[in-house]
Amino acid sequence: MLELLKRLMNVPSVSGREDKIREAIVREVEPYADEISCDPVGNLIVRKKGTGKKIMFCAHMDEIGFFATYIDDEGLIKVNAIGGISALAAAYTEVVSENGVRGVIIPECGKEMPKVENMYIDIGAKTKKQAQRRVKVGDFFVCAPSIRRLSGTRYVGRPFDDRVGCAIMIEALKKVKETENDLYFVFSTQEEVGARGSKPASYSVAPDIGIAIDVTGTGDKPGSAKMAVKLGGGCTVKIKDSGVICSPELVKQMREIAEENKVKYQNEVLIYGGTDASSIQVAGKGARVSAISVPTAFIHTGVEMVDMFDVNEAVKLTALLAEKL
Amino acid sequence: MKELLRELSLAFGPSGCEDGVKDIIKSYIEKNMPACGEVSCDTSGGLFLTLKKEGAPRLMICAHMDEVGFMVTHIEENGLLRFGCVGGIDPIVLTSKRVVSESGHRGSIIAKPVHILSKDERDKRPKIENMMIDIGADSREEAEKVTFVGEYFTFDSDYVEYGEGYVKCKALDDRLGCAIMCKLIKDIATGEVSSDYELHFAFTCREEVGYSGAFAATERIKPDYGIVIESKAVADVHGVSDQKKVCVLGDGAIVSFADLGTIYDRDFTRHIMDLCEKNNIKYQVHRIISGGNDSRNIQISASGCRVALLSAASRYIHSPADVVHYDDLDAIYEAIKAVIRRGN
Repeated sequence: MLELLKRLMNVPSVSGREDKIREAIVREVEPYADEISCDPVGNLIVRKKGTGKKIMFCAHMDEIGFFATYIDDEGLIKVNAIGGISALAAAYTEVVSENGVRGVIIPECGKEMPKVENMYIDIGAKTKKQAQRRVKVGDFFVCAPSIRRLSGTRYVGRPFDDRVGCAIMIEALKKVKETENDLYFVFSTQEEVGARGSKPASYSVAPDIGIAIDVTGTGDKPGSAKMAVKLGGGCTVKIKDSGVICSPELVKQMREIAEENKVKYQNEVLIYGGTDASSIQVAGKGARVSAISVPTAFIHTGVEMVDMFDVNEAVKLTALLAEKL
Repeated sequence: MKELLRELSLAFGPSGCEDGVKDIIKSYIEKNMPACGEVSCDTSGGLFLTLKKEGAPRLMICAHMDEVGFMVTHIEENGLLRFGCVGGIDPIVLTSKRVVSESGHRGSIIAKPVHILSKDERDKRPKIENMMIDIGADSREEAEKVTFVGEYFTFDSDYVEYGEGYVKCKALDDRLGCAIMCKLIKDIATGEVSSDYELHFAFTCREEVGYSGAFAATERIKPDYGIVIESKAVADVHGVSDQKKVCVLGDGAIVSFADLGTIYDRDFTRHIMDLCEKNNIKYQVHRIISGGNDSRNIQISASGCRVALLSAASRYIHSPADVVHYDDLDAIYEAIKAVIRRGN
């Protein structure tokens, strides 16, 4: 699991530029899938055929990042945000462009609170011309990937959001044994800019049940929003977030299956933030949806923190739902 | 195209009330394209023309017919009209502007005059709640003879050409897109332009209030590709740094990689840029993430499609004095012409 996660986290892929991570995932799932397809919006749809219920699991491949808007006379690159960038978290970190150009992102605000529109990327170019040879207006950047173990089963780095969901789906796909269910594992695009990719994917798949696999916040760190989810307390079963009210019937089934099989889970109500579940619920003729989440502290920073215990519980629950729902 | 653009821009068509614009487009198509394609309308209010080509990829070309405007929300005892905006309008452009109603009655937007404003009020940005439309009625009774709560108003504007190739009017957003599409249709009818795609021209409704017309159109057409023609707000005026200008009038068609509504298909967008290079068509890259348009819904409706955006730079967008440059419209037209000939 950890090696898989490292491989996936190391492929930068900002929203709308998911081709490289898609290729990496295709390599991982190829031996286990009955059908693999890619739609016009870039979603990767992996099917394990069955004759029963259509269940769609969905984790997003994209991550937040930056968009180069202007290159100034000094060769510094001005940017806009793609997705929910925290300027505070991004300031003074290493970044890398969609073409592999490395740089650092710096706020020009002195001691004030940084804002994305006042930040620039320095790629070490001496002149505008030098910079323009390596970066064009319209190029995308992400903060550099990393993953490190702190102690025990706790890891920090980025982007766990949502490569951890992609890794969970891949591991679950490997684990699933005989089932009648018609299983779709959708690796979606453009979630970070408003759950866009999963909508057409869900229209095409037309599932009976949709389950997003994503990260969620935790309430156990100073300054975190009040929330009854803890790192290390198991994966979560989502009840509600700011984009979706989950199907009570499905939530009940998920809890029962978790309990019967001794998977440790927590009930999740996320006040800020949403997932692909919101668009799966309303795409096409609609579907019953919920989500399995990995409790993650410091989401959208360079030190997103997860507990591998929770990740492994999420894999178990995903595979069980695939077989038993 | 200029005469048609004038006629379209002066037509009355705030979001949800696009029939006047639709009628002009419909009669233009029927006059210039007898029996070559199928014109249809749907319940979402859009107007569509399909040019069938069996087996060819389906390309939807889209512009919206609606413009920003106003709606009467309350009529005061003294005959002044309270109103709300239809679509996004900066209140700062509103005071003292001429407006005209659906039924053709004229008025002006008024606010408390400057000589009786307190210093505090003068320093603040104006608010729509403090503005009213004066239609010259002295009482509610008199006002109700010519208008009603729920009636639309738009800017009352003139079509003015000035300088070298500039034009000013209301509603150039997005009548310029409609005009470019009409010209394409006409030139296809005469055989001057040919297409290797099955073309679906979609003139949509209600873009300014959330792209719902484009959603309905795309769910029905289910295209493989989408090109949206739009106008984009720029700030290429005196006193703005090069970085903040965004784009420049007269520098060609704007291609976008991303805005707040859409991350455009990279390969399709780059393909259009390559075609522009190859055919000496002027283009510029959009240098900010802001705004959104029908593309948002076109990209993710039904099973999704590959979408690209071509825009004309517009100064003072969503005002009675929207300004664009004719050369940019020609560049957009040429770029689309190059795209639909796949042999290019």
